[in-house]
Amino acid sequence: MTRLIRAAAVVTGICTIAVFFMMLILGWPLFSHGHLFALLVGGWNPGSDQFGILPMMVGSTAIAGGALLVGTPLSLGVAFVTAVFARGRMRRVLLSCVRLMSGVPTVVYGFVALIYLVPFIRSQFHSGSGFSILTASLVLGLLISPTMIVLFVNALDGVDPRARRAAAALGATPVQRLLYLQLSEALPGLLSGVVMGLGRAMGDTFISLMLAGNSINMPDGVLESARTLTAHIALVMAVDFHSLEFQSIYLCGFVLYLFTFMLVLILRVVDHRFRRGRVQ
Amino acid sequence: MKRIVFCFAFIAALGCCNAVFAGSALDAFKGQEGVIKVAGGTAHIPVMKEAAKCIARFNPKVIVTVAGGGSGVGIRQVGEGLVDIGDAGRSATEEEISRYNLVQVKWAVDGVGVVVSPKNSVKSLSTEQLQQVFAGTISNWKELGGEDHAIDLYDRDSASGTRAVFVKKALKKGAVNGGANVVVSNGAMKTAIGGDPYGIGYVSVGHIDSTVTPVALDGVVPTIPSVQDGSYPVARGLYSSTRGKATGLSALLLNYLLSPEGQKIVEEKGFIGVK
Amino acid sequence: MKRCAELLLVIFSWLALLVFATSFLSLFVVLLLRVRGLDAVSLFFGDTPPVDALLHGLPVFDGIYPALLGTVSVVMVAVLCAVLPGVFTGIYLAEFAGPWAHRIVNLLVDVLTGLPSIVVGLAGFSFMVLLHNLFPGAPGPCMAWSALALGFLVLPCLVRTTETALQGIPAELRRTAPALGATKVQNIFFVLLPFRAKDLLGGVILATGRAAEDTAVIMLTGVVASAPGMHSLFKQFEALPFYIYYMSSQYRDLAELQYGFGASITLLLLCGVFFAAAFLLQSYVSFRFRGSSWLQK
Repeated sequence: MTRLIRAAAVVTGICTIAVFFMMLILGWPLFSHGHLFALLVGGWNPGSDQFGILPMMVGSTAIAGGALLVGTPLSLGVAFVTAVFARGRMRRVLLSCVRLMSGVPTVVYGFVALIYLVPFIRSQFHSGSGFSILTASLVLGLLISPTMIVLFVNALDGVDPRARRAAAALGATPVQRLLYLQLSEALPGLLSGVVMGLGRAMGDTFISLMLAGNSINMPDGVLESARTLTAHIALVMAVDFHSLEFQSIYLCGFVLYLFTFMLVLILRVVDHRFRRGRVQ
Repeated sequence: MKRIVFCFAFIAALGCCNAVFAGSALDAFKGQEGVIKVAGGTAHIPVMKEAAKCIARFNPKVIVTVAGGGSGVGIRQVGEGLVDIGDAGRSATEEEISRYNLVQVKWAVDGVGVVVSPKNSVKSLSTEQLQQVFAGTISNWKELGGEDHAIDLYDRDSASGTRAVFVKKALKKGAVNGGANVVVSNGAMKTAIGGDPYGIGYVSVGHIDSTVTPVALDGVVPTIPSVQDGSYPVARGLYSSTRGKATGLSALLLNYLLSPEGQKIVEEKGFIGVK
Repeated sequence: MKRCAELLLVIFSWLALLVFATSFLSLFVVLLLRVRGLDAVSLFFGDTPPVDALLHGLPVFDGIYPALLGTVSVVMVAVLCAVLPGVFTGIYLAEFAGPWAHRIVNLLVDVLTGLPSIVVGLAGFSFMVLLHNLFPGAPGPCMAWSALALGFLVLPCLVRTTETALQGIPAELRRTAPALGATKVQNIFFVLLPFRAKDLLGGVILATGRAAEDTAVIMLTGVVASAPGMHSLFKQFEALPFYIYYMSSQYRDLAELQYGFGASITLLLLCGVFFAAAFLLQSYVSFRFRGSSWLQK
């Protein structure tokens, strides 16, 4: 039995590593065909053998960044209400609602936004088709907020209750307690919530595929159409399996893998700092 | 009681299907059993789904699964042996045919037409204008005699057969601006253009309906008759490929598509039959 | 000045809540309004008599019954595949791993948690093609592949639930059985895990919900636009999320669009039920990225 347990852990670990090497090995012909650097900073034009993924990396970053800009303040506000201002039943109701929201499937957001938000954005601004970084960011911001709210509430609630009671005893109102005690104490927790939100936003495929327009140009405005790394994989899946064009999606997978790895490391550092801080 | 009503309804439904195709090519499916996997060209989907429905109504043991993906997917997946029949909206290249030993069957003729929203006043373009629009050198409807508003370009992904035909025959291999929105199927193009008053794109002529307006190219409106009599130049065949000569159920499906009943479906879905 | 800041913070927070609540309410209201008047029987079964479809397996066209069936079966198979490795890895992390092994496996599970689902799908697809090239008889895109890839995707969810469930057990209970002569393994399987059975079940259901909403993995490994009357592990299948994605761009008329909304509500309800059940079962939040102690407070 012990052996079986160890084997399960080994299999889980090896599979995760295998995904990395799969991206690396299957994308290898492309790495050796052109210079890796050229692929990372070049544009995408399969017609003239250019398989650079820079526009997609910029697209991914822009849309995920936009989602954070929308999602972070929204989630912070809701988390403040849930963790500090609301009491008793309202708090419980809010928290369970937020958790249920995190179960709304991605395609449902995409579907409703495609029918309602895209025409709305198009009619509000005089340029662009409505398929834009802005549209995708708005929806993605909403999509990542339930997850972020739960993490924020956890972080705010994690502040030492003794300190909270002490603050209350000194006559601090809830908002003062939040502003001067909980916010600074919970900062690492809030930060890791944001990092996880970023991870989810970067990893999402269907919101950007359905709403961002998927153009292959470098975007130069929030109303411009753009393509993310994930949507690029979904779109280029359709081309000939043996072509260099197809192999370029392994480069996208590789970049996404590295990005995830980096986020996990950042979370480790934040977590580590925080624990050390608490011991003192 | 309810059960009986349902049974009657079902028999009636079967009857309808049979009445339309009485004494038909469907007979070949009698006693057969199995699955035919179809993938590829998105223009083909309506016809394939309808054929699948008629076949399953005749003999529920024969199932046709239909996946989209684009012509590139069709040719690749049938070549790799992942599906039985690969659809393509363009003829397979020499290289593809020799690499995978493909055998193509052309079962319909279609065109690729430029479409705009019905709200758009621009209804006619010359080839030169079209090239400039798609290259991005004309970027405002004003320059084409329309409203003063930027043009929203819509393009297909590079695996699309519709795109390959459009770029070759309508744009004369002109460039497509990289700023264009990219959609993944003929259906998606149609709904995108139908919803965007300033959009321009191209779809299979068989998909054009009242939600989009076809744009005349050099004075010829892309319609089924104009493709049929050859006056509209951007025409193409709809192909289905198999690896090696089609056998078994795949052969039956392809024969069915070429039979009078199959060709009737083809015409009902807006394409031109080959027989 | 400080008062002003405090007041602003309060106003900002309630405004954020208002915006958040309005967005989600409008999402639900839109869905409900758009499915009004949609006949449930035709939504699920199209023009096929429901009894024939349910009892005789008659193929259903133009309805979401095959998609619903596909989603439910692929998700069940996926979770069945993932339950053992997931729970065992969780046990390993909580009870067996030495410091270094713990660090490595923990890191890998975290990476897997954050991995975009399309990357998992791409890996599954590539593995399938490789296998197909090596052994020409190997199955092409089919439900089994989708289930395996989906199982891999939800693996970390199961690992984390098991791990945190085991970690949260009070020391008294943990020591009782070994004191009576039970081995470590017996202790885990007969005392500790049953004690946390509810949390484990909650974790499994949560994993099911996560698997049900994912579109990217199945799109790359076996889902198709139309596969009526298919009930086999080694065949292609339809699924609700893909149906919605497909309908979002392929609808031919408003009636078909309404089917898309109907499918959205169905998927929403399905996932909602899974999530609600999971939260009711789990005594504490198992929602975090990792089981760091400061999150459990």
